[in-house]
Amino acid sequence: MTDAKERSAAHTTFTLERDYPVAPARVFAAWADSDSRYRWFVHEEGWKLTEYEFDFRVGGRETGRFSQKGVAIYTQETLYYDIQPANRIVFAYLMKRDQDLISTSLVTIVLHKAGATGTKLVFTEQGAFLDGLDQASEREAGWNDLLNRLGRELGGE
Amino acid sequence: MTEHSTQHATFVIERDYEASPVRVFRAFAELDAKKQWFTGPPEWGPDEHAMDFRVGGRETNSGGPAEGPMHRFEAVYWDIVENQRIVYTYEMYLDDARISVSLATIELKAKGKATAFRLTEQAVHLDGHDNPEQREEGMRGILEQLADALKRSA
Repeated sequence: MTDAKERSAAHTTFTLERDYPVAPARVFAAWADSDSRYRWFVHEEGWKLTEYEFDFRVGGRETGRFSQKGVAIYTQETLYYDIQPANRIVFAYLMKRDQDLISTSLVTIVLHKAGATGTKLVFTEQGAFLDGLDQASEREAGWNDLLNRLGRELGGE
Repeated sequence: MTEHSTQHATFVIERDYEASPVRVFRAFAELDAKKQWFTGPPEWGPDEHAMDFRVGGRETNSGGPAEGPMHRFEAVYWDIVENQRIVYTYEMYLDDARISVSLATIELKAKGKATAFRLTEQAVHLDGHDNPEQREEGMRGILEQLADALKRSA
């Protein structure tokens, strides 16, 4: 734990919005249901998943370990803080590359009814990016891609 | 049904402590030392405070005025770099209502014999139970209590 490495923490907040043509309950279900979640969140072409657990309840955790071309192993560990069905999810998560912690984040997802049948999803990430090992811009691009995939899972495109 | 709302806020508190990073770190890492300053106002009386200071470990502290409500702090440690950095998330509850979730980063740097201290809190305040201004003011008061505790133990 003690070391001579120069430590740093860059704090950033970013917000992403999406309109989906389905009700908040369906958007919520795509987050909560492990089969649906596997399709849009967990599985990705070219990435090897070596470990995955998902316990979607307040105090529950989600852990994934995955690698691309055997270059580096990424670990994601999530702790769910608040779950309001069809309405709100708050969680904290860390990302590691091999043994190095690269970020810790707090995420809020709010689902608003939009029009007669749609949903506006508002995603807010408040992150601490550590020791220069990751960039907020890359994280934002990653979540942009995931929310697009969620849109396809919901049949919106 | 409760009306749900969220408010996001970030604040940073920077100050110097007349103590080495080793001593400041110890004030966060050891329960007996943390009990000296991480407490509510004296009129609340003694609080219940438990801590498992390691990555993945938890801390809980609860107390409040006799007439209520009970204030409860529940934290999880995500990163600990001895004498340099502590990252934790914490929830605050008033009785059974979760009023906020925060990500806190503490950074310590030697500044001569003193410590340059920085706390960054990124929070989501839930359902209008409290507000970011109150939290920042509360933390400033608690960090002043830390300064007093460091003086007493010098």
